[in-house]
Amino acid sequence: MKGEIEIAGQVIGGRVASIMIREKSGRKIELGDLLVVEEDGGYLIMQVYDLGYGSQIPQSIRELAAGLKLEGYGNGLDFLDPQLRNYVMAQVKAVARVTGELVKIPKVLPSFFSSVRYVTREDMKFLTKPANPVYLGKVRSGSKVLDVDVYLNGDDLFAHHVIISSTTGRGKSNLVKVMLWDITGQSRFGALVLDPHDEYFGRSGKGLKDHPEAKRNLSYFSTNPPVGGNTLVVNLGSISPEHFEGIIEFSDAQQHAIRLYHREFRDEWIEKILRGTQIEGIASTTLSVLQRILRATLSVYLEDDRIVCRNNVFSDSSGKATISEIIKALEGGKLVVVDTSKLGDEAELLIGSIIATEILTKHQEAKAEGKLDEKRTVSIVIEEAPRVLACERLAKIGENIYSRIAREGRKFKVGLLAITQLVSIMPRDILTNMNTKIVLGNEMATERHAIIESAAQDLSTDDRNIASLDKGEAIITSIFTKFAVPIYTPLFEDFIKERAEKFDTKGELIFQG
Amino acid sequence: MHKFAHMADIHLGAHREQVLQRLEMVAFSEAMDMCIEEKVDFILICGDLFHIGIPDLGVVKEAVRKMKEVQDSGIPIYAIYGSHDYTPTGTTVIDILDTVGIIKKVVRGKITEGKLRLDFFTDPKTGAKLVGISARKIGLESRYYEILDVENLEKEGGFKVFAFHSGLTEFKPDYLSQMETIPISYLPKGFDYYAGGHVHNRSENSLLGYGRVVFPGPLFTGYARDIEQTAKGEKRGFYIVSFQDKVEKVDFIEIKPFDSVYFEYDASLKNSLQAQKELTEKLAGLEVKDKVFVLKVRGELSGGKTSDINFSQIKRTLIERGALYVHLNRFGLTSKEFAAVKVMGEDIGSIESRLFKENVGAVRLTHEALKDERGAIMATELLQNLRQEPKANESKKDYGERMVKQTIETLQLREVFK
Repeated sequence: MKGEIEIAGQVIGGRVASIMIREKSGRKIELGDLLVVEEDGGYLIMQVYDLGYGSQIPQSIRELAAGLKLEGYGNGLDFLDPQLRNYVMAQVKAVARVTGELVKIPKVLPSFFSSVRYVTREDMKFLTKPANPVYLGKVRSGSKVLDVDVYLNGDDLFAHHVIISSTTGRGKSNLVKVMLWDITGQSRFGALVLDPHDEYFGRSGKGLKDHPEAKRNLSYFSTNPPVGGNTLVVNLGSISPEHFEGIIEFSDAQQHAIRLYHREFRDEWIEKILRGTQIEGIASTTLSVLQRILRATLSVYLEDDRIVCRNNVFSDSSGKATISEIIKALEGGKLVVVDTSKLGDEAELLIGSIIATEILTKHQEAKAEGKLDEKRTVSIVIEEAPRVLACERLAKIGENIYSRIAREGRKFKVGLLAITQLVSIMPRDILTNMNTKIVLGNEMATERHAIIESAAQDLSTDDRNIASLDKGEAIITSIFTKFAVPIYTPLFEDFIKERAEKFDTKGELIFQG
Repeated sequence: MHKFAHMADIHLGAHREQVLQRLEMVAFSEAMDMCIEEKVDFILICGDLFHIGIPDLGVVKEAVRKMKEVQDSGIPIYAIYGSHDYTPTGTTVIDILDTVGIIKKVVRGKITEGKLRLDFFTDPKTGAKLVGISARKIGLESRYYEILDVENLEKEGGFKVFAFHSGLTEFKPDYLSQMETIPISYLPKGFDYYAGGHVHNRSENSLLGYGRVVFPGPLFTGYARDIEQTAKGEKRGFYIVSFQDKVEKVDFIEIKPFDSVYFEYDASLKNSLQAQKELTEKLAGLEVKDKVFVLKVRGELSGGKTSDINFSQIKRTLIERGALYVHLNRFGLTSKEFAAVKVMGEDIGSIESRLFKENVGAVRLTHEALKDERGAIMATELLQNLRQEPKANESKKDYGERMVKQTIETLQLREVFK
């Protein structure tokens, strides 16, 4: 039995999805607080979703009393036994019933008039560390953080897709960095991060490069890599027509033309188009348009008969093994961060498309051979996901590799980790396929509604909760959690300080000329 | 105008067959003669002059004789270690040749306060400044690059050459995707010429911030795949770089010590008897006299065993018809009736390496160094060590001790057996 000091209130009425609790005077129940009712050898965990005032004094009397105080007629005026007559009412919903190690969705109300206390660390001990864990943060009750780590099984999490949504500045990138840091030391999953803001590696300041296992488990590709980083240079021969699908809009005639060029020239098809090599059946106007599209997308041009790329990302001579290096790293359970900050949107998505297509194909082949179990789950982290997953875009340009992965990647252990501010413009079926949603603070009602409607648990009463989430606070709604778990993700810099371990397996290095 | 020759991956002593041993020395001699003829100012060998750290003395004697001739013509030979010049026990023939002044190692430096500071070596005649990093056993040189003080190297003036014996990720051909490489960002920027070795594929490259990055490929053939590629028409040789204050011209000098024929046969949908018959018939029509003959047989036999095809007989016939040497590759040949473990690879080395990589996960291991890729690399190295045969005049006892010592080094158990 818990001590009286922990009593937060008492159940005084309501319905299954809206249980009414009177707050004990002196307590400060918060939106999002987790409260507990103990009964029948177990306990019920409830979450606060709304707060309001309650009073035994009629409204007219309260208004009069306020007037008297405000107008200076009764400075010492107060209610008799105010703690009994005026109070706060919390509306809560039951989220989990725990009996021993069994956690179930509650189907009965807590006993009428039962005492309610704040949740403790002990109450959450059923949240154990799974196999292949990915750290997400600590359990949060309102704005209070419990010393209970929240992990999800990475294979489940990544293969079944994750969406992280919030308005800007609420900690999306911080959360992703924490997750990626946690998996960097594991070699259990491959993760490809297309990083348009170059914020994950930590070129300046702290980042994933500071992980003790970074040298072994992190590959960084950039057009301007620091010492030890890989140059992001992709050979034009690595690009196939299918990589453009849903990324660049081509007319039917242009589609036909690029397939013909690919069939005719294989790895040199882009080079031949850029050089204006004519082939039978392709009108010169079509060739000209294709040249223009490819020049713009790849930022390439001809100079002294050489193909030059403005941002040095595409080359006709270097970078022949770049894609296979990335695939090898991902298959080896490494984290691959691709700095796309110097690239245009289309070039970034194209590079992502090349890698994603290759990895999905490899996994499909492995499945066909009955060897998918030997493959590690690979997650593709994509910022501003609606760039490739928005309804309007998919309707206009057609399916792309990202939408394909969102729909069928799960079967092949390839998943998306989509980061976005705008969930509402993404197709419902894709949102439904995203089986874990991590919801951070969001002021926009349309976005909150979109995520609530597609959540794995009933979040219909959490609109206010979501709107009030502060930086670092989030709600995980997932088919892999028994209820929508409120979490707090620490600031990356603080987190890595805590996790920093000394890895020194190399010993003294002696130089031999 | 000054000139220097850049060569790498000569792999003297790589072959057991006398014919190939003779041809590899012919190639080396031709290259040296070309350098004398072209009056190069110096020769830079970027690793793997010999195939093993302590090669057969007969091979060394021949090579030294030729290099002495070059030296007597006033051409110094500079070198760095290649991955094959390394021995777990330390001293190699390169060190001996350096000591006696036949060649000069140009990698000098020390680790100070966690940074590797390299010293330039200046060629007295041309003023060219040479610096570089030798290869160590598999991948270890990457740790040197991690701590390399590039700033010091970048701010040095003059005509600068960086010599290295590592594959560069950015220029790696796709077929070598399994090869361990380093990113070019490890190399100091702003050198006039980057003289590479280790990659058995000739390439001239450039990337923003770096001058010419050149891999000459093997001078002759170090591996089975090299012979196949040569027979397929890939040119072998070295580079002559003309320079003053900067690189003026880079010329590839082809060395062709033999003519060759490449023949590929697909045995799919045939049984072993049909395949043998058809293959024999097809080979009969080919001109093989005085040529190195490369025969690649692949495909899945519909019946019979792969060993039913009498390859010894086929080879013998070709030799009798005057072929200089017959190289047979049947790693891609399988049989429906006798399905074995399928591991594709270009040669024995890559197949072994893949087998280790694929199976290391299936073994329960507690020691970190034995896990994952590190374990696979160690196993590959161990196999390479154990494959060594006794040297001429090496006693059984000495051989045994050498093997034990190398094995201890490979397994990183030096401390345990101290």
